[in-house]
Amino acid sequence: MTADEADATNALYGLYDALDDLLRGKGTQKMRGLWHHADYVSCSHPYGAWARGWAEVSATWEEGAAVWSVYSGHAQRADRIGGIHGLCVALLGDTAYGTSVYRSKFYMSDGELNLKANCTDVLHRIDGVWKVVHHHADQAPFAWQTRVGQMVRLGRS
Amino acid sequence: MAAGPNAPTEAAAGGYRISIASSQLSINAWGYWPPEVADAFTGEANAISRKLMLVSTFILDAAELKPQGAEGQQALRALFRVLAAMNLARGTFVANNMFTKMQLERLLRESGLGERVAAVD
Repeated sequence: MTADEADATNALYGLYDALDDLLRGKGTQKMRGLWHHADYVSCSHPYGAWARGWAEVSATWEEGAAVWSVYSGHAQRADRIGGIHGLCVALLGDTAYGTSVYRSKFYMSDGELNLKANCTDVLHRIDGVWKVVHHHADQAPFAWQTRVGQMVRLGRS
Repeated sequence: MAAGPNAPTEAAAGGYRISIASSQLSINAWGYWPPEVADAFTGEANAISRKLMLVSTFILDAAELKPQGAEGQQALRALFRVLAAMNLARGTFVANNMFTKMQLERLLRESGLGERVAAVD
């Protein structure tokens, strides 16, 4: 692995570290810092539709943090909520993309809630720093989305 | 905000339409609201209690509404606060985007309308 590939790989793992922070109520600061704040960035999460442009993308991460702010299953736990597996990174000049499988586990009051989703992420190297410009995760199964929606309605996990 | 390749022109498109008839309040909202749209909506939301003595029916068509940023959320909260103060009995909303649906449910719950305004398919 070249130094450039290692840097891009670290940036991609950093995206999912920031996601874990967000899901654990540690805020979106790390996530905001990883993204390129531009009109052409885009993302799609395990629920919801495409967000295009930084304003929309940012709103989805902020809402994700708000959605999971009522989750308390990890309050007494040290294990990660989720992470990526089998990451493959391709580098083309100042663009890199990674494909991986994201797995997460939530401890809800009525049992575990597990997710497995294929993900694609695209980075651009801007002023020597790899920034996220695109994130896509497969849509979660309907049953998973329903349980998350129920958590939001009830205001507790 | 920096421009980029193939920047989508529809990214900033967002708006709303408010209809008041008798004691029925219907709102059609779409897209992502830039600050000026959110501000205008807040003004109209705050004026609803001066236009209507009673809101017996509230229908929010958010089928094409995207999850809102801070300004858009503040505008929606303003509406929900007004409706809560007017003792709205029942309302419905529709949102095709699951993220938007969750955001609206959260804002309704935080505004004390969670039990009175329900999502419909």
